[in-house]
Amino acid sequence: MNIAIIGAGVAGLTCATEFVARGAKVTIYEKGPSIGEQACSWWAGGMLAPWCEGETAESSVVKLGQHAKSWWKTHTAQVQENGTLVFALDRDLSELRTFAKRTTDYQSVGAQEIAQLEPDLGERFSQGLFFPEEAHIDPRKSILSLFDQLVSAGVIFKFNCEVEPGTLSGFECVVDCTGLAAQDAIPELRGVKGEMLLLRSRDVTLQRSIRLLHPRIPLYVVPRGNGLFMVGATMIENTERTRVSARSVFEMLGSAFALHPAFSEAEIVEIGVDARPAYLNNLPKVNWRGKVLTVNGMYRHGFLLAPVMARVAANAIFEGYQIPELMDEYCY
Amino acid sequence: MLNMYGTALQSRLMLGTSQYPSPASLAESVKTSNTQIVTVSLRRESGDSLAGQHFWQMIQSLNVHVLPNTAGCHTVKEAVTTAHMAREVFKTDWIKLEVIGEQDTLQPDVYALVDAARLLVQDGFKVFPYCTEDLSVAGKLLDVGCEVLMPWGAPIGSGRGLNNPYGLRTLRAHFPDVPLVIDAGIGLPSHAAQAMELGYDMILLNTAVAKAGDPAKMAGAFAQAIEAGRSAYEAGPIEKRDMAEPSTPVLGKAYLV
Amino acid sequence: MNIVINGEPKVVHTEGLQDVLHELGYQNKVIVTALNGHFVSEPNRQQIQLKEGDKVEVLAPMQGG
Repeated sequence: MNIAIIGAGVAGLTCATEFVARGAKVTIYEKGPSIGEQACSWWAGGMLAPWCEGETAESSVVKLGQHAKSWWKTHTAQVQENGTLVFALDRDLSELRTFAKRTTDYQSVGAQEIAQLEPDLGERFSQGLFFPEEAHIDPRKSILSLFDQLVSAGVIFKFNCEVEPGTLSGFECVVDCTGLAAQDAIPELRGVKGEMLLLRSRDVTLQRSIRLLHPRIPLYVVPRGNGLFMVGATMIENTERTRVSARSVFEMLGSAFALHPAFSEAEIVEIGVDARPAYLNNLPKVNWRGKVLTVNGMYRHGFLLAPVMARVAANAIFEGYQIPELMDEYCY
Repeated sequence: MLNMYGTALQSRLMLGTSQYPSPASLAESVKTSNTQIVTVSLRRESGDSLAGQHFWQMIQSLNVHVLPNTAGCHTVKEAVTTAHMAREVFKTDWIKLEVIGEQDTLQPDVYALVDAARLLVQDGFKVFPYCTEDLSVAGKLLDVGCEVLMPWGAPIGSGRGLNNPYGLRTLRAHFPDVPLVIDAGIGLPSHAAQAMELGYDMILLNTAVAKAGDPAKMAGAFAQAIEAGRSAYEAGPIEKRDMAEPSTPVLGKAYLV
Repeated sequence: MNIVINGEPKVVHTEGLQDVLHELGYQNKVIVTALNGHFVSEPNRQQIQLKEGDKVEVLAPMQGG
């Protein structure tokens, strides 16, 4: 089977991986010059944290997100399985209590356990929540790794090619994985702008993703090794994919500093921004629009849910599987 | 039935539209709350963004009255300009007037509030001022032409309920014929019921619903509590007593010693 | 001409406010405008000619409490 995929972000690359596994010949069209910063995926945190997402996301996200860790382990060998630690500053402890009520599969930890898990945070927090089954990856290395494997598997990549799904011929199926760029064709899509930072510091070490809860700007810090930390992210109902605001950076840096003072001396390596594509209920969807299969609406769950959505897409294409209406029905 | 600025209203719940986890969640909450009024705001929109357009389309599809606010305004000029802009876009004379005086409690700047209210009433606006339970400020707002008052229960988003029930009770007693809406600080349906039992006419909720675990379910719970509180007020509740008074009559009791 | 739109400096190639709004992609959108801190109603947008350095605000409906 000859399949064209438009978009080489996490959605397109995971789809390609699933299609290749079923024997398809895949061509991927990407408007950018390479796998890189034009994709929302480039700016992601890389947390595989289905239980933490339960705080605000639907239960189907929590259930389906649990498949992510093993998928990424199978395909990239770069998954850090150290769990997530969740904290709040003393004056925001009500946020921690609320978080604990809305999530599961965690242990309450005290000063001693925190010091054992993260020595650099031991003095700073006397209570927290530890989600032992969660994990994190480096999103950029992961999509580049998928890219390398797909190239080795014979997938044809056409960079600098911005194409309309309807104009492609010679393929039995066309799959649109273009994220927010599909907004004109999919009016129900909206953008949720996110700003993030990459900081470098040798004065603090973390083994796992840390969430610092806050009523307005909750923060997550994800270690990328070599002193590099991803710090994010804002969530602004906006389709803007550029323009980082001073206030967002100020608030993220302030929270990072509250997490650990070493971050005040950290080097700002990158400041990034993009807009997450989302449907009205924040759940991703696989949909036939005429002859084109769209895989979109990953919101803040790209790396968490792309593997499952890729499988649903593959089932729909190869087995004529009926795509369920509701995300809950995907929970097989 | 409640009447505010000539509009008859069956629902005594007003809903804010910010901080919901998703637009779908907001739409569902509007439905389960049975609200007839939602508050909205104005923000910068870039030429290639559709966010505001989508939001406005969705709100219009919900068939509710719209009450634009002057959130984030600190001066009379900002508030008045924002109100004029809101009137053009939302095509309504209704304006929820907020002029913030202090950043931690988000208390109104009462002097600017009264000045802005005066100017807006003169310009034909129907002003819904966000105020405190201060009687003299309330009096001045009514003097300059406001016909509705919206005193806080507690600081915006704090979820504390009614911080000063005595002050709120006094405000109600001083202005028995003015529609009074509790705006800000409500956390639980019981807070809303308490305010309705005090004789308040309506409750405006945002954080309590939007940040609840299940916003649509919480919106429904609030609707029930507000109805209960209002019915209780209309039914004439008993007063508190210091001593016990048996509810079962003692006359005619058998002598069984 | 250099003006400021929603706090961002921009170079525009027309002078009428209505034309500038078209240039920036706002046609057929539900918006409202202010110039240098003053509300400019829709009918007046046709008349307004912008000058170098003018500050324009373009607002749209948004969530609010």
